[in-house]
Amino acid sequence: MTPASPERREQLKAAMLRLSKGDRDALEVVYRLTSVKLFGICLRILGDRKEAEDALQDVYITLWRNAARYDAKRASPIAWLATFARNRAVDRLRTGKVRRGAVPVEAAAELPDGDPSADDLLIDAERTARVHACLDTLDEPQRGAIRTAFLEGRTYAELAERNAVPLGTMKSWIRRGLLKLRTCMEGGE
Amino acid sequence: MPELSGEDLLAAEYAMGLLEGEDLLAVRGRMARETAFAGLVAQWETRLAPLLDEPAHAAPSPEVWSRIAGELEERDEAPSPVVLLQRRVAVWQRIAAGSAVAAVAAVALLFVPLGNTPAPATDAPPLVASIPIADTPLRIGLTFLPEREELLVAADGLTADGAHDHELWLIPPGEGAQPRSLGVVAPGTQERVSLDPALARSMRQGAQILLSQEPLGGAPDKSAPGPVVAQGTLAKT
Repeated sequence: MTPASPERREQLKAAMLRLSKGDRDALEVVYRLTSVKLFGICLRILGDRKEAEDALQDVYITLWRNAARYDAKRASPIAWLATFARNRAVDRLRTGKVRRGAVPVEAAAELPDGDPSADDLLIDAERTARVHACLDTLDEPQRGAIRTAFLEGRTYAELAERNAVPLGTMKSWIRRGLLKLRTCMEGGE
Repeated sequence: MPELSGEDLLAAEYAMGLLEGEDLLAVRGRMARETAFAGLVAQWETRLAPLLDEPAHAAPSPEVWSRIAGELEERDEAPSPVVLLQRRVAVWQRIAAGSAVAAVAAVALLFVPLGNTPAPATDAPPLVASIPIADTPLRIGLTFLPEREELLVAADGLTADGAHDHELWLIPPGEGAQPRSLGVVAPGTQERVSLDPALARSMRQGAQILLSQEPLGGAPDKSAPGPVVAQGTLAKT
């Protein structure tokens, strides 16, 4: 994976600052720097290109409308944007506007080689390493359940069905895993 | 084996997106009115955010950007009134900084960014207050325009819970001042409120602004705010 690029991170920070002051051109810069990542996040949750594109459009329009609310001093704009996009996509699922598509995500989209917006570059590598190290301390059914729940926006019931375990078991896996994750992360926070 | 429980569990489940139906609605309501709880959710979001760094990259169709640009264009969408106000605030800061050159440029600029709501250049400086909702990226932004006796309230971050309203209160500077209601906040919106002239005169630098939790429809007794959930101070910019 490409190492983090302070330069790209600074570019995004600067664009977010301009955006928060109402500069519309900045929205396009933010879009170019982040849309591949945010689209990937939405697609993984919604499982359908069209739905994910609608979600993506909604994310940037909402970002523009609420730009004044963004705290430009925030350390990691990409983490904030990723969380924002994830939450909007999960909202679409939960409010029943969208039925999850059946297409496996891997088959649904290919990223062109050498696309400049392949933005592993924006990631804070150290922070990422920490949460992954903590996830690795979890036992397998717990770890997998937490990742799937978070990255694909699944509910307890869906996870239980997919893993063919009772609902109570699934809840227990996730709750144990979350406690362990918190304890581990607090060790480094 | 121990499990996560209580408030922190609920916050984690909300941040994970595990809740649905009634549970989800109930927690959304708490997010809006309980700053401590919203803080717990924010902590979990921060903890979990790095998981999103796992590559899931996929390129959207090129049309998506055109659609976004088109949607903004179509509604001729200027940024929210709050953003426009912030621009003016920046202008006033420059004037206050006392640079003659900057001031001249700034006065010229006053007419530019406001688009179809031109402001007289003689406006008194706006007063602003930012009311942070503890440990979350959310805040309620207030901007008061003295000459127009108008208050802009940006409450995008609040969500209605169906059981409570939030109300804004002014406590004018000085001892023994009584709280005066500025009205119930409309969650999830940015709105423009006209204040009556007496109330507008009390909107002065240093005045406290409180946000209280009230029954639906607002405080039954307009001299007594309910539990205060957040506060800020009116300041020149």
